[in-house]
Amino acid sequence: MTATMRYEYLMQVRRPTLWLVYLLVFAVTAATLPFWSLDLGGRDPGDPRSAMLSAADILIAVLPMVYGCMIADRPGRDRALGVDGVLSAIPAGRTGRLLGKYLGVCAATATPFLAIFLGRAAGYAVIEGEAAALGWSLVVFLSVIAPGLAFLGALAFAGPLLVPPLLFRVLFVAYWFWGNLIPVTMMPTLSHTVLSATGEYAARGWFEGGFGPRPEAALDVLRPEATPLSAALWVGVMIALAAAMLVLVRLHAIRSES
Amino acid sequence: MRIQTSKLTKVYRGKVRAIDGVDLDVPVGMYGLLGSNGAGKTTLMRILAGLLKPTSGRVVLGGHDITTPAGRVAVQRTLGYLPQDLGVYPDLTARRFLDYIALLKGLDARSARRRRIGELLEVVALGEHADRKLRGFSGGMLRRVGIAQALLADPRLLIVDEPTTGLDPEERIRFRTMLSQLAGDRTVLLSTHIVEDVAQTCRDLAVLAKGRLVFQGATGELVSQAAGRVWNLTTSGPAPAEGRIVAAVPEGAGTRYRLIAAAAPHPHAEPVSPTLEDGYLALMGVAPC
Ligand SMILES: Nc1ncnc2c1ncn2[C@@H]1O[C@H](COP(=O)(O)OP(=O)(O)OP(=O)(O)O)[C@@H](O)[C@H]1O
Ligand SMILES: [Mg+2]
Repeated sequence: MTATMRYEYLMQVRRPTLWLVYLLVFAVTAATLPFWSLDLGGRDPGDPRSAMLSAADILIAVLPMVYGCMIADRPGRDRALGVDGVLSAIPAGRTGRLLGKYLGVCAATATPFLAIFLGRAAGYAVIEGEAAALGWSLVVFLSVIAPGLAFLGALAFAGPLLVPPLLFRVLFVAYWFWGNLIPVTMMPTLSHTVLSATGEYAARGWFEGGFGPRPEAALDVLRPEATPLSAALWVGVMIALAAAMLVLVRLHAIRSES
Repeated sequence: MRIQTSKLTKVYRGKVRAIDGVDLDVPVGMYGLLGSNGAGKTTLMRILAGLLKPTSGRVVLGGHDITTPAGRVAVQRTLGYLPQDLGVYPDLTARRFLDYIALLKGLDARSARRRRIGELLEVVALGEHADRKLRGFSGGMLRRVGIAQALLADPRLLIVDEPTTGLDPEERIRFRTMLSQLAGDRTVLLSTHIVEDVAQTCRDLAVLAKGRLVFQGATGELVSQAAGRVWNLTTSGPAPAEGRIVAAVPEGAGTRYRLIAAAAPHPHAEPVSPTLEDGYLALMGVAPC
């Protein structure tokens, strides 16, 4: 598993397209959203913790689309390249290989995301003279951003089993807007629920509060009051969904092995 | 490692009987598996490598039943497999690719692994290209990377599926010679539809046709299948109507034909001694189709 993780990480993180696409989408994000001021209103951008939460809010609105799309071609890559024959003739466990691939690919695909986020924190720390921003950026990345990425990564492993990677990318972007970004009153949506991957429950439940039910919206049973407990619940839901997706991927592979 | 199959059958979804009641016994050494396109060679090899479950029948390799999980692991531990359509990661160098496969094969000790990879790169004459990306490798070079990865764990059984197809003559000869040198006390199962490759490297062979085993034994026996049935005929007239033409070479005003026929196809035809290819063609001519 560690060998697969290491090599899948290396192969993905060295892919020039990965960095290029992130860079382009980031450029658009930085040009259209207040990424430099970190002023989203409602929070004090002078406070390092609030600033890092705002940076996370901005990046997580957009970059997960790149993340999911860049992962989508990886699950089928061994087969497409014709390496799977050799790999399957090696008595190393196939579950371990899937897990290693998942962890390596997701970590690699999250690397530019992390780099941009830490880069902003470093810039903030220097300009504002607030070294605490660096610590907060790590805390925020791990608690608010990473759990959602764990789930989205598994989704991008499972989805391409049903539809070709290209179509999956289109559907994934559509899902991202519908399930995570649109206002809850627009139509029934997973936005602002514990099933949304945007990490609002972690951000609000652990750090800020003031977030919860929207009785006027559909699916409101999925919107408990944001508390430390419901934040932990959200992390649990993300990990459970990721695990469920990976189990499906493994079962699918077993079925088609005959 | 001895390979024995009995009544081995593989029916693909969609009802293709790719392997049909094959009883095969492969001893240690270099062994050829001949068959035309679609004969079932790849299917048989994928079953032997534990990648495909047979529909019915038994497969025992070195005393292990490949259809049980434990047997499969035991066989795969000592197996080197070069698939017909081997692919590689284009963004890795030859050395890195081999390193990855070696790690998966359990060669955990770093220095031993590096040494083994270095040795094998020399064996397959890729030493000077070791640190180039595989993207730029030619077909022959990729095939050599393929054989190097198959040899990493010093396997007792080497399964190579049509490794010489598409190689230029020199590379082909080099490759098959390398394989027979590797045989020694290993079992090397070589599939091909190039009869010459088997003729030059194997003492024993099996022939598959439409999933059935139509011959197994020594190469000499297959040659003798065509004994007394191979003829040379030089004529400037029309092509002989009898027998099967295996060669036609323009010569002077006429054409020299090489024919396989049960009896002299022409009063002027001269009997000649058969080759393995003649034996194979004679066999395929009478094989149930
Ligand atoms: N995955 C599959 N599903 C259905 N049928 C298959 C599959 N793989 C192979 N076949 C069929 O099984 C038969 C044997 O195929 P196989 O690939 O084993 O032949 P082969 O001897 O290796 O041929 P070649 O020399 O072209 O490589 C063919 O009729 C082929 O169409
Ligand atoms: Mg084949």
